[in-house]
Amino acid sequence: MQWLSELGRKIGNLLRGERFDRDLQDEMRLHLELRKEERMAHGLSPENARAAAQRTFGNATALRELSGDAWGWRGLERFAQDLKYGARALFRTPGFTALAVITLALGVGANTAVFSVVNAVLLRPLGYREPDRLVTLLHSGTDPVSTANYIDWREQSRSFEAMGAADFWSPNLTGADTPEHLRALKVTQSLLPMLGISPLLGRLFAPGEDEPGAQREVILSYRLWQRRFDRDPSVLGKQMILDGEAYRVVGVMPAEFQFAPFWATRAELWVPNAFSAADRSHRGGNHLRVFARLKQGVMLTPARAEVARITARLEKQYPATNREVLVTPLMENVAGKVETPLLMVLGAVGFVLLIACANVAHMLLARTSDREKEIAVRTALGAGRTRVVSQFLTENLLLAGLGAAVGMLFAIGGTKALVALSPAYLPRVETVGTDARVVMFLLIVTVFTTVVFGVAPAMHAAAGNLSGALKESGRSGSDGIRRNRLRGFLVASEFAMAFVLLIGAGLMIRSFAALQASDPGFNPHNVLSMVVSVAGSKEAEPGRRAIFYRQLLGQVAALPGVQSVGGINHLPLAGDMWGWNFRIEGRPKPQPGDSPMAVYRIAMPGYFETMRLPVQRGRAIGEKDDARAPGVVVISERAANAYWPDRDPIGQRIAFDADTRMPPTWLTVIGVVKNAKQYEWAARPFPEVYLAALQNRDFLEDRAAHFQYLTLVVRTSGAPADLAPAVKKTVWTFDRNLPVSEVLTMDRAVADATAQARFETLLLSMFAGVALVLATVGIYGVMNYAVVRRTREIGIRMSLGANRAEVLRMVMRQGMAQALTGSAAGLAGAFLMARLMTNMLYGVRPTDPVTFGAVAIVLSLAALAAICVPARKATRIAPAVALRNE
Amino acid sequence: MTERDEIPPGTLYMLILTTLDRDGELHGFEIANAIRHISEDVLRVEEGSLYPALQRMLLKGWVKADWGVTSGNRRARYYRLTALGRKQLTAERTQYERVTAAIARILQPAEGDKRCNG
Repeated sequence: MQWLSELGRKIGNLLRGERFDRDLQDEMRLHLELRKEERMAHGLSPENARAAAQRTFGNATALRELSGDAWGWRGLERFAQDLKYGARALFRTPGFTALAVITLALGVGANTAVFSVVNAVLLRPLGYREPDRLVTLLHSGTDPVSTANYIDWREQSRSFEAMGAADFWSPNLTGADTPEHLRALKVTQSLLPMLGISPLLGRLFAPGEDEPGAQREVILSYRLWQRRFDRDPSVLGKQMILDGEAYRVVGVMPAEFQFAPFWATRAELWVPNAFSAADRSHRGGNHLRVFARLKQGVMLTPARAEVARITARLEKQYPATNREVLVTPLMENVAGKVETPLLMVLGAVGFVLLIACANVAHMLLARTSDREKEIAVRTALGAGRTRVVSQFLTENLLLAGLGAAVGMLFAIGGTKALVALSPAYLPRVETVGTDARVVMFLLIVTVFTTVVFGVAPAMHAAAGNLSGALKESGRSGSDGIRRNRLRGFLVASEFAMAFVLLIGAGLMIRSFAALQASDPGFNPHNVLSMVVSVAGSKEAEPGRRAIFYRQLLGQVAALPGVQSVGGINHLPLAGDMWGWNFRIEGRPKPQPGDSPMAVYRIAMPGYFETMRLPVQRGRAIGEKDDARAPGVVVISERAANAYWPDRDPIGQRIAFDADTRMPPTWLTVIGVVKNAKQYEWAARPFPEVYLAALQNRDFLEDRAAHFQYLTLVVRTSGAPADLAPAVKKTVWTFDRNLPVSEVLTMDRAVADATAQARFETLLLSMFAGVALVLATVGIYGVMNYAVVRRTREIGIRMSLGANRAEVLRMVMRQGMAQALTGSAAGLAGAFLMARLMTNMLYGVRPTDPVTFGAVAIVLSLAALAAICVPARKATRIAPAVALRNE
Repeated sequence: MTERDEIPPGTLYMLILTTLDRDGELHGFEIANAIRHISEDVLRVEEGSLYPALQRMLLKGWVKADWGVTSGNRRARYYRLTALGRKQLTAERTQYERVTAAIARILQPAEGDKRCNG
């Protein structure tokens, strides 16, 4: 209870406010007066008596502070006082304050902006119930699997609470004002309940609704519900026409729901996937993505072991079907590809912040040196060492707080810019925002910066020599060795960090240049492309499709401004990519899993000409290669080298039939074209084949959704985007209900394919540039300050006979020594970092001598330029003036 | 003159409590003088340190303070023991019984103690 009454008294005292201090002062004054009178009675002069009284009393100020400490509120009062004083001190030197605040704000702002992105993409858990237990089962961890395998895994595994599969589907929405080509997923009934997110309206699919013959149902995303139904709450039970079939709306998902999170991320509706009997036994055609939820308490390792056992058994039973099936945490699939680059960018801004801190630290060091006298006076008046340090720390905290506040503004702008710049590959980027974690990060960074840039100067301030500082006339002698060493260390570490960042950026720039210079095989300039989908329309009829495609190409070719036109099923880079096994005539039947494989495309006449994909040998697919003509195929150079390394492939025959019981449909190789970029810009192209669309029965007659569209490619004489409306209008003269989507120039497709590299290069270069500027400003500041502090010393040297050249050399040597020491340390760090970057680089080695050389030169030049100014100033010191002034 | 020692920590409270116990109401200067007279030979007390100690004792509730007027007609704050302070003194006394000779001597009622004029 003791403490309670103490607290009561404390509060009472607080309420009395200033009286406490006044009482104490009165009391002490009385004491001193009485003692003085007593001494005077002993015969001392008034002055001596007063001095004697004060001597026996001790330091009144310090004692008053001690008394206040007893009441416990002093800490707060002192803090408030320090704040007030600090604000005044900062306000007195607006130039210094502005520079320091902006430097810190840059560092804090950039870090917070990058962290917001990292937070949304990598840290924030996925928006499903207990997302840690969600995994994917995919070939090599990323590739789709077949229906029969999925069913076997689901039935044989025990580690999972639930398993579901999804298949991409892009249906045409018709029967409304504007037809639309949508992105959708066909999911097994088990999939959505497994995610644990309840629908906003209606329900999820019920068991049995994914059986063949069940009624067709659809669940909408919030976005689609908003866009097509104007958020009509009575949407449930309404019909939607997808690919010509009526689907009943049974549910609407909440706005923040997204599935799938790493592939088909823009899916806007979900329908049950009804596997036919044929699907259930099909082990070819891998197109399902399998998701599962681990049972409560089951770890990843035993689950992996179990799946490995099951797939090994299946592999024995059905050779070449169950290879390398990996169980991967869902989050790893979402973040895996971007984790390294993002963390690297975060590391880069971290360095920028450290450099900013170092800059502010030596600005503060210089400031405390100039304030030595003030500190000495305050110490003499009774301020303890901790008191001085805490005053300085408070001032620094104020500075950091201002920096953080301005930095937050930078961060908001920066985050917006990052999101706008970020390429489509960045998952979950739409969820980037400021949440509690970002604010926490900002606070931690602020405290961290205060400590990093503030402690050293504050300690130095407190350690200053009291009587020395008071006696000397000002900035007289040279600084102590310790302080110089600290400054040297700060500059050197700035250069080390700048070196590492510049190497990182340099390697990225070199790599990006190599990417840009890489030949796509075709000429992407002045090419417009768009997907025309016939699913669900009368043009999809087996008899109609070929005629429609032919007429469409003919009419588009006749448009003014069109040079040539062609078509293909999947556009390189932007479109899908299929691989297919084939047989070569006259060769023994390959072992299962050993068949030759090629990327499979179906091209309309005019495709190669329009894309300017050169035919190296033989001829391109022409108008005459139709259903009545013998089957033909054009192959890529890589396919020619891979499968016919020692002979001319022209005239050879291959077949793609999956069903080996039927006689093969032979296709004769009629031409070899240059290798073209396929899906990933940086990847080496696989062997590739182009079948003639006009003689391909799948393409012209198959009912499957993935055969019912054509990608038009149009070479234009002017800006390709300008022609888009005219081409669309031409499509709609055939049928107003035909959806046109993915309108895109080929240049844009190329830019998108290199977007990740561009984004990373841009960010790293930006941060490296900031680092370079900060490090240069830093060394300039330090050297300039050193010269000012050493004016007298230099004056003495010159009056003793040192000439200007010697002074110049001395200053330059000192400055460059710091810069070079730092760069040498940075070199070691850069090698380490370059090794980590290996996977991000294309066409450049991590130890690229050009980059390392260029960075060394740039940094040295920057340091030289920065040191030059103060060094020249030093040579202009007039000895007489320097000595007299001090 | 014997060697002068720093006052052991905590002893100051004791000195103040004892002084107040014996003399009733005193102001700061009077307390300082009383302690000085008792301990001068042995202990060196920085007079000013009396005041932070008094503040702490006020906070703990061992003493009470009221403003009054000295015989020289000056405003002074007079301190007196509270019941809690008396209890504290007894407790500390028993505890300090075994302390060094110098302190033991101070604890004995001093002779020839003079009240200072205030």
